[in-house]
Amino acid sequence: MRSQEAKINNDFDIWTALIYFLLVGLGWLNIYAAGYDPSANLGWLDPSLTSTKQLFRIGVSVVLIIIILTVDYRVFDTYAFLIYLATIFMLLLVLIFGKEVNGDRNWLDIGGLRLQPSEFAKFGTALALARFMTFQYNNQKNPLLSYASRVAGVPTFLWDWLNMRLAYAGAIIFVPILIILLQGDAGSALVFMTFSLVLYREGLIPNWVLGAVISIITLFVVSLFVREEDLLTYVIIPILTVTLLLIISSRKRTYQSVTLNLLAAGLLIVYVISVEFIFNNVLEAHQKNRILVLIDDEVDPEGRKERYNLKHSLVAIGSGGLVGKGFLQGTQTKLNYVPEQSTDFIFCTVGEEYGWLGSFVTVFLFLALMYRLVDLAERQKDKFARVFGYSVASIIFFHFAINIAMTIGLFPVVGIPLPFVSYGGSSLWGFTILVFIFLKLDAHRESQMERK
Amino acid sequence: MARVQVAFLAIILLALVISLQIINIQFIQGADWQRKAEEIGLQYRVKKANRGNIYAENGLFLATSLPLYRLSIDPTTASDSLYGAKIDSLCILLANFFQDQPRLNYLRKINDARLNRKRYLTLNSRLLTYAERNQIAKWPIVREGSFRGGVLFEKVYERTYPFKNLGIRTIGYINETGDGAGLEVSFNKQLAGTDGKALYQRVPGGEWLPLNSGAQIRPVDGYDIYTTLDINIQDVAHQALYETMQKTEAAYGCAIVMEVKTGAIKAMVNLGKTKNPEGKLDYIENYNYAIGDQGNTDPGSTFKVASLLALLSDTTLALQDTIETGGGTFQYYDRTMTDTRAGGWGRLTIQQCLENSSNIGISKLISRHFGKKPDKYIAYIRKFGLATSLEPSMKMSGMAKPYIKSPQDPTWSGVTMPWMSIGYESRLSPLQMLTFCNAIANDGYLAMPSLVRKVKKADDDIEVFAPQIGKDRIAPPAVLEKVKMAMEGVVLRGTAKNIKNNRFRIAGKTGTSQKLNARGRYIQKYHTSFMGFFPADNPVYSCIVVIDEPKGEDQYGADVCAPVFRRIADRLFDQDIEVQSSPALKREAPLFQTNLPANQVGYAEDIKQVCDILHIPTMSAKNDELVSPIAGKFEVDWQERKLKPNTVPDVKGLSLRDAVYMLENQGFKVLFTGKGRVKTQSLMPGSPLRKGEKIIIQLE
Repeated sequence: MRSQEAKINNDFDIWTALIYFLLVGLGWLNIYAAGYDPSANLGWLDPSLTSTKQLFRIGVSVVLIIIILTVDYRVFDTYAFLIYLATIFMLLLVLIFGKEVNGDRNWLDIGGLRLQPSEFAKFGTALALARFMTFQYNNQKNPLLSYASRVAGVPTFLWDWLNMRLAYAGAIIFVPILIILLQGDAGSALVFMTFSLVLYREGLIPNWVLGAVISIITLFVVSLFVREEDLLTYVIIPILTVTLLLIISSRKRTYQSVTLNLLAAGLLIVYVISVEFIFNNVLEAHQKNRILVLIDDEVDPEGRKERYNLKHSLVAIGSGGLVGKGFLQGTQTKLNYVPEQSTDFIFCTVGEEYGWLGSFVTVFLFLALMYRLVDLAERQKDKFARVFGYSVASIIFFHFAINIAMTIGLFPVVGIPLPFVSYGGSSLWGFTILVFIFLKLDAHRESQMERK
Repeated sequence: MARVQVAFLAIILLALVISLQIINIQFIQGADWQRKAEEIGLQYRVKKANRGNIYAENGLFLATSLPLYRLSIDPTTASDSLYGAKIDSLCILLANFFQDQPRLNYLRKINDARLNRKRYLTLNSRLLTYAERNQIAKWPIVREGSFRGGVLFEKVYERTYPFKNLGIRTIGYINETGDGAGLEVSFNKQLAGTDGKALYQRVPGGEWLPLNSGAQIRPVDGYDIYTTLDINIQDVAHQALYETMQKTEAAYGCAIVMEVKTGAIKAMVNLGKTKNPEGKLDYIENYNYAIGDQGNTDPGSTFKVASLLALLSDTTLALQDTIETGGGTFQYYDRTMTDTRAGGWGRLTIQQCLENSSNIGISKLISRHFGKKPDKYIAYIRKFGLATSLEPSMKMSGMAKPYIKSPQDPTWSGVTMPWMSIGYESRLSPLQMLTFCNAIANDGYLAMPSLVRKVKKADDDIEVFAPQIGKDRIAPPAVLEKVKMAMEGVVLRGTAKNIKNNRFRIAGKTGTSQKLNARGRYIQKYHTSFMGFFPADNPVYSCIVVIDEPKGEDQYGADVCAPVFRRIADRLFDQDIEVQSSPALKREAPLFQTNLPANQVGYAEDIKQVCDILHIPTMSAKNDELVSPIAGKFEVDWQERKLKPNTVPDVKGLSLRDAVYMLENQGFKVLFTGKGRVKTQSLMPGSPLRKGEKIIIQLE
């Protein structure tokens, strides 16, 4: 035991923890600034301030960190599925007893403490996924699946990776997604899609699928930006050209590969043409508007609210300049111009009061954290810790990228917080648990080796 | 580990894109966004100009603007938790405060607006005073401020008329579209001022701060209007007219008092029929009958004065010359003229024709003399100012045009002149008649009526309207003397002898014209009037009283209007030193005499301080505790009030506070009645003092 304690002190990644605390501190300053009202004449720790509530939550986080660092690291491994099921259970409770806030039913009120179980479901899912990956899984084809694939005429390379391992992993990810979607919180559900990055890293998703997904998303965006009459010139003809080039350049020009290529091209063209239809009929009005405001300045009248949010966000950041207006000197973020200014749009306060420099430091801190997390994950010998580490990195990366992209008008407005910085207890605690469980696991990587 | 590299490459790429976009926003588009930020935080806001005041002659407010507050709410502002927790108590407070609708009504109203995302809801149309505003500001939700709670207090200037109904039709009113009546509309251009615009910036905390940039248009406050109205005279005239109208249940009435020398209107009362809340007949100022179209009717017998003046101007006839008025009827072509006295007056002197208001006498005189030259008669009438528009001097909108028929008019017939001479066939407003009457009082100089003396901006005169007095007399002094004498006769011996009095002489003329029904026939309804001036030997005021359709036994001008005139004249005579004293004496009186609390007693120190502040020169250096200021010609002297020890002090002239202080110091028990200054005291000043004695002081 003694030697183990010593190892913790040696191997605990102090840098990641430092970045964590820097981000949390930065977040608190900005929450204080966003809620600052010079005419109210309140002390900086006045209990009515949102920042004071956040300070309390930071305190709870520290308690959580201490608990995580003191318990046996094997707890997470052993009870991974139990924790996962507990978080799923909480998600289900929300469906029944949930409290509605701003139209979404994703809050659970436990004796005055408001929790957002979707934030905790993230680490539950990450634990379960990591645990699942450690199983020595017989990668042999499920006979039923193979048969069904053959009957349906699915090409062999497709069912090559359509195995049960992926199916189970997918199920672990999609159960929480489904429940969260039922709660009406599309943003949080989207976060769970990042687990596919982990699956990719673990080889469960082949390169070409990733490529296909990226190109489908790219095509979707391009098709939205390109006017309908220009679709042929700018999208369809290039697709056909690339397909043709692929066919010509391929070494073995079998009948099957040519058909496959043409089939893919045909599907893509149908997809491109139907983007407009998907956009208009599948998405809900507010979702559509959130996308439209990025493309078109004249979205009206339904899009007014969405454009308002984005415009004020951009105004706040844009008026910051190189070094910003200074702490508490922002005007845009103080006057309720920017909606959700202490939660989802907290980055506006950074942009306005600290300018480009502050924004850059924030982005840099996240990048550093990401680098640290991926680096730590890579050095894990234990698969459980590695998969978990990747999950942590993916989730934080996704939050960071989407949140900042939406505040600066690169991505539709999706209500997800900026990790560690945004106001809110559940999100802060969720991320704290994610990061420090991983750090705890990392600190024990030597002993895990021994265990193996 | 190719996959890790791919993944991390993607991360770095995305971070790069984000950094580039931030650079794009903050540097490339930065200026643009900064401008937009300022625009959002900037707003042109209308700065309402303050509307000018309307003053009575003695500096009292007739109309002024008071700031009030309108209570409204943006029901969507409050958060769910705040709204849920506090809306009920807010509604209870609202219902208790306004007492006009139950709590649930408020709740439903606010809830509906919140659900429909309505951003603005007036909670109650009643405007709040500043004190009420402060009280309400402490209520739940309201106290969260407009940004959290959404409750707003909008400042509204409300026009206030301190004298309520008094002269209100003359002072007028104006609504937001500029419609209205009276001075408020006629002088709207001067009163309104110009609304300004100013650039405001929103600062942290949600306050709007005016920017000190050049981009603002200052509001120009409206000018003040100084009228000639004297609120005391207005009050007297109002009361007198109101009581008579109540008694006679008349249709409408008006009374105008004019200053003879200047044509300044001192009072203008207009009363029309209405029902009070209990359903009883009442009279309020609802139309300006004195100058408007509704009062523009047959002037009636008062017009006989004009006829007489025309006759005497054009002839050398004396008042003692006679005319046969016969048995009370006289035929002009197909129409019969009658006199009111059964059996007629027989032969009358010209003076008696006016005194008894003989229709036949006056019309016969006029048609006999002017029959062949109607143009000349009309020319006289015009010369007397009866066809002159009063609008240029009054500067009021909505004034009726005088109508005097000309011989060239197709409806001019053989009967026109006789009937015209006794006050029919013309359309003249009461003010028009009074202006003429005033000219007689003013030695023949036509003083055009005016209501506004000055337009001022603070202490600076913007416009000064000097009295407009005609250069030439409307008739030679000798002729005017005759007419004045005849008018005085009306009160001494004639139709208005009921208002004769011994204190001062009144010259006047009664008027009663029969009204036409819808078919153009004369019916037993009358339009009565009395116009005149006083004191007859040295006229100070002229006045006309008009009462339309009086009911009951007295339906003639002499019985209905003359007593009102008399009441007004009596009160003016009593209260106005000008009426009683000769003009020569008046001029020499030191200006500040009336302003000083002369013959009153006060503490020397107090009085000296007051005098010092007001730069009133004082003469005395006496060091007594109590003094009584005596106004000298150029300075104030003090008369000492010595207090002798152990005697009853003289507290007469002291204020209640000083008197009680002084008496109680001497050990008296003080009882008092009335208010003002001590007039009498129950114990003789100077009599020996007995401690604990009761003393009763009477104040007035």
